[in-house]
Amino acid sequence: MRLDHVSTILKREYLTRVKSRGFWIATLVLPVAMAAIVVLPSVIAMKSRGSLRLAVVDELGGVAADLERRLAAPPAAPADGAEALAAGSSPDQRSAISIEAVELTADATALRAELDRRVLAGEVDAWIWISAAGLERDEVEYHAESVSNFMTQERLERALSRAVAQRRLEREGFDVERVTRLVRGVELETVRISETGSRKEAGLAGFFLAYFLFFLLYTVVAIYGQQVMNGVLEEKSSRIVEVLISTVRPSELMVGKLAGIGLAGLTQLGIWMVTMLALSTPGVLGAMMVAGGRLPTVSAGLVVHFLLLFLLGFFLFSSLYATVGAATNNAQEAQQFAGIVVPFLVAPVFFMVPVINDPDSTLSVVASLVPPFTPLLMMLRIAVKTPPAWQILLGYLLTAGFVAGLVWVCARIYRVGILMYGKKPTFGELWRWLRHA
Amino acid sequence: MSGINLEVRGVRKAYDGHVAVDDVSFAVPAGAVYGLLGQNGAGKTTTIRMIMDILAPDRGEVHLFGRARRAEDSRRIGYLPEERGLYRKMTVTDHLLFLAELHGLPARVARPRVDSWLERVELAAWAKTKVEALSKGMQQKIQLVGTVLHEPEVLILDEPFSGLDPINQGLFKEMIADFKRAGRTILFSTHILEQAEKLCDSICLIAKGRVILSGELATIKRERGGDLFEIRFDQPSAPALDGVPGVLSATPHDGAVRLLLAPEARPAEVVAALVAGGARVASFRTLEPDLESIFLQAVRDAA
Repeated sequence: MRLDHVSTILKREYLTRVKSRGFWIATLVLPVAMAAIVVLPSVIAMKSRGSLRLAVVDELGGVAADLERRLAAPPAAPADGAEALAAGSSPDQRSAISIEAVELTADATALRAELDRRVLAGEVDAWIWISAAGLERDEVEYHAESVSNFMTQERLERALSRAVAQRRLEREGFDVERVTRLVRGVELETVRISETGSRKEAGLAGFFLAYFLFFLLYTVVAIYGQQVMNGVLEEKSSRIVEVLISTVRPSELMVGKLAGIGLAGLTQLGIWMVTMLALSTPGVLGAMMVAGGRLPTVSAGLVVHFLLLFLLGFFLFSSLYATVGAATNNAQEAQQFAGIVVPFLVAPVFFMVPVINDPDSTLSVVASLVPPFTPLLMMLRIAVKTPPAWQILLGYLLTAGFVAGLVWVCARIYRVGILMYGKKPTFGELWRWLRHA
Repeated sequence: MSGINLEVRGVRKAYDGHVAVDDVSFAVPAGAVYGLLGQNGAGKTTTIRMIMDILAPDRGEVHLFGRARRAEDSRRIGYLPEERGLYRKMTVTDHLLFLAELHGLPARVARPRVDSWLERVELAAWAKTKVEALSKGMQQKIQLVGTVLHEPEVLILDEPFSGLDPINQGLFKEMIADFKRAGRTILFSTHILEQAEKLCDSICLIAKGRVILSGELATIKRERGGDLFEIRFDQPSAPALDGVPGVLSATPHDGAVRLLLAPEARPAEVVAALVAGGARVASFRTLEPDLESIFLQAVRDAA
């Protein structure tokens, strides 16, 4: 194998991709989409919190005032249980709820009609009626034109519950302060242990990170594998392959092609990973916290594993895709043949839930050491809980060995297929090409 | 330059029991324009692919520049396959630079050549255009330029004129003439014998995978001449000629009839027999044979 040949092919494959507009659109869209997924919900929540002007009819007296005090209370850190009982939901989701206490009149029906009129006229947004009878059934009526602003309603409900609870406690002669202190809840503080040291991490965020990396890896391996297949098909159908093969060996062409496209993929993933690393630094994280979400932390080690596993997965599947492209004559035929490759790519998805739930189970360990599954499942295990070093190493070695053998086999079929035109080959013919090439 | 530049020695190639090329040998002298002739399916492309090391012969070998072919010899050859194509998404300049680099030509050397070639084929304005935006004729020009950018010592062209528009055919013939003047060697295959006759110094005729005739065109014509005659009759329709002893074939041509006689036949006796049969012969003369009749006769001889 001549390296100058391989590098000529590699350079063309890499540059034509990296120079294309589509590459950069895709490269930029993902980080923007990631940022949007993290930031947008809180932005939308902030924008949509609006204000709720609430008319309150308080038959019992005192509850309305307590409610107003609770709704106006300054936001508390969500981790503080005692304060949380007083405050309600987290600060960014708070709507401004203004209370207008309405005097109870003798004619309740007329008052209700009047309140409805005021809502329809837009003077208030909603009204509630706190009645002794209602509280017997643990109910407070809420009347509004729109009853779908559930975040605001939930907050109102909580504040109301606490105001009512306080009132009931007082009635029964309890020390409200003391009871509040005694019933405050606890929160799980999740700490992820790994060989490089423990760090605090939100459990849910780590789970999402594992999911995200798994599907990102799956997607890029699939997309770049398809690109290899289409590239081979293009060379074959445009017949330029004959000029190429007259100066470079088919194996050089295939390896250069895989390396060039793989490098383009690595460039794209590298940009994404660096972006994620940058977003994970404490300063940026802090800034994002303000916007509301808790981001999972991404370590450099995780990024390196991700990129290495991408390369293994890419070479594994794209050598198969290259062979499919070489053995067939057009996109339809290629898609039919690619149907044989796809199950191996998709199978890890079925192991996802068991592996996330118990990354050290025999099933998880064995499945993650089966070469076609290793890139995706080992990625998942590393993201969830760092597996023993020997398992990671074994996974890498087995897959690398498998990839080497596969590239060798595929190159032989590729060599024959690339110059074969006409009918779609049968498996028997593929086998013959493999033996005689 | 002198001597033999390219030699094919007893090559054979079989696919799945079908023998495409069987024991083909020929030698291309340095500086020659050499025609590899034969009908479609005769084995021309397979032979050329073996010369280009795209296919490995089952038997026999290819010699280049006076020794067994080496892998790096490809860089000294300009090869235009019968089926042609380009990468659609590349710009004209990038594509040509890529083809040059495939032949070991660094970009810094190739770039000025690309520019001057594009100038010559009147495509300079399209240098930055993607190949897919070019017309078919323009793409053909790019392919031709890509074949010669690295200034190969040997040009190997498989059916170079098939699918070419007239302008590009002219351009191609010009390029072949330039190459010949520069003392380089050209091997091309064609099934159009008239073209070969106009362009070639030497030929190799292949039928059903076997060589049936090869050598210098002038020599072949001289040797094969003498069997071909033209006879004119002074009567409305020519008499039946096929049954006449010594006549291998008779084809009406331009008001006369072309006669191919058996080598052992005596022309005077044939004419005498015709006259005795009542034919009124107006004229009878020997013809310099054209490649087509040589070809047809050679095929017949081989059968």
